[in-house]
Amino acid sequence: MARHDSRVGYGLPVVLALALHVGVIVINVLEFPGSEEAPTSASVVQATLVSTETATDQAQRAEAAKARAAKRQAEEEAAAAEQQRQQEAEEAAAAEQQRQQEAEEAAAAEQQRQQEAEEAAAEQAAQQEAEQARREAEADAKRRAEEAAAAEARRQQEEQARQEAEAKRQQEAERQRQAEAQRQAEAEAQAKREEEARQQAEAEAEQKRQEEARQQAQAEAERKRQEEARQQAEAEAERKRQEEARQQAEAEAERKRREEAAKRAAEAASSSLDSAIAGEEQSIANARQAEQASNSFQNLVRNAVEQAWIVPPNLTSGVEALVRLTLLPTGELVNTQLVQSSGDAAFDRSVLQAVQRAAPFREMRDLPPAAQRRFRDFNLRFRPGDVR
Amino acid sequence: MNDSMSIPHLILNASGVVQFVMLLLAIASVLSWVVIFQRSFVLRRAQRAHKQFEERFWSGIDLNELYRETPAEQETQGAEHIFRSGFREFNRLLPKTRNSQAILEGVQRSMRVAWSREEERLNHHLIFLATVASASPYIGLFGTVWGIMGSFQSLSMTQQATLATVAPWIAEALIATAMGLFAAIPAVIFYNRLSSSSSKLLGKYEDFAEEFHSILHRNLQGRGDQDAA
Repeated sequence: MARHDSRVGYGLPVVLALALHVGVIVINVLEFPGSEEAPTSASVVQATLVSTETATDQAQRAEAAKARAAKRQAEEEAAAAEQQRQQEAEEAAAAEQQRQQEAEEAAAAEQQRQQEAEEAAAEQAAQQEAEQARREAEADAKRRAEEAAAAEARRQQEEQARQEAEAKRQQEAERQRQAEAQRQAEAEAQAKREEEARQQAEAEAEQKRQEEARQQAQAEAERKRQEEARQQAEAEAERKRQEEARQQAEAEAERKRREEAAKRAAEAASSSLDSAIAGEEQSIANARQAEQASNSFQNLVRNAVEQAWIVPPNLTSGVEALVRLTLLPTGELVNTQLVQSSGDAAFDRSVLQAVQRAAPFREMRDLPPAAQRRFRDFNLRFRPGDVR
Repeated sequence: MNDSMSIPHLILNASGVVQFVMLLLAIASVLSWVVIFQRSFVLRRAQRAHKQFEERFWSGIDLNELYRETPAEQETQGAEHIFRSGFREFNRLLPKTRNSQAILEGVQRSMRVAWSREEERLNHHLIFLATVASASPYIGLFGTVWGIMGSFQSLSMTQQATLATVAPWIAEALIATAMGLFAAIPAVIFYNRLSSSSSKLLGKYEDFAEEFHSILHRNLQGRGDQDAA
């Protein structure tokens, strides 16, 4: 019989009941804060008024952009000038090297000539040889002088071009770099051409000398005359070639300069137009801002809308909407239109509803007619702030 | 909901009256659950004991033997208690009077007393459950109304009536109602369940008392015939 345990105490029921309640509380505490993500508590309304026509800081921004562009251009110019100077230095070094090579070759020729003189055992031939060498040296010197003159002229041209570029430099650095690369390539090609021509001349002279050594015994005088004539022709031809190359380079430089000048002129014209427009815009904006500060109608409208605004919860930060209001002269609302959506449909709707709830704006009737006309149509920008 | 809207935070930030109401409801809920568990155990054991006793009683055992087997009166419960009190009264009256009617009346009376004691024992504290079930929604509602009053008072002080201004107050106020319902709903359900099972058990006791009474009556009738003869 269950007689012994038939009386039930209160200990176990109390424990069970407390355990149940503690369980409920624990579930509440653990689950509720965890499962719900915290929304932004943007209970605050802040609306900023933006007029339709005010360009506000557009002009200032344009000026800042212009200053930035000018700075960038100056930097590019400096870099370009540096590059050009380096190029010139390289050219000078190349010319120096060329001169050294020529001197070495001349020395080699001298040695060979001495050998030939020994072989021929002819004093006269040696004398003639010396004379010829002198003439060659003279021709070389002349050629070098011409080259130097050409380089000088080129340098002068480039200096002039650089000065011009510094005065008004084009903005497209890439194009300029391309042009410079082209120029460099041309200069290199020219140098190569000169080098080839010189080598050819050297080879010819060598051949000639060998021929002389062979024919020296037979027809010294005649050969000399012929050779001189030929040398002259050669020198003439070479000079002509160089002259042509130089003219070509000059023409190229001239063409490029003209192009740049034309481009710069166009740019200057357009930028001056821009700055004129920007200045005008700025003055207009300043005037408008001053005017706006003096009247309070938009502030009234803004306050009214703020009062009527119920900001939806769970807003993402940084939302704002631009709304266009169309009013009657009596202050009644004709139309509201969303000019710029915030992307949050609930937020847009709340703004439109707030405007409609805040209407009519009776203060409109107190305004002078000119101001009324101005406020027939204006924009309001809304963004939820932090104020309660 | 952010952290400031979590339920513990709301409870801690509630006004004094609302907090008191919540405390009251929490205590009522705990106590009602204590009663629910305790009564459930008691009734289940009583049902089991009654079943066992009935099996023994109808197994053809001699009543004097059954009476001797059962322990002292205070420890017996349910149908056993009724049987003991009735049989004891019968044994006491039997030598004193020859009037069987008087004996049966005395037995019936003592069994009614035992039955009413059993009824009191089974329904013990069930009234508390009924009270919690009916009163705690009202108590919770009182807390809610008080909290909403506070919310409107605070609303009158703010410039713009956004939902965010009212929401914490109303949420906090509604917690009181929620707690009232939390206490009341189990109390209602278990009050109905426990009271029905206890009344069923009492009905069984009553049936048993009638049957036992008829047995004694039959017994006395036979003896009366013998005496008359």
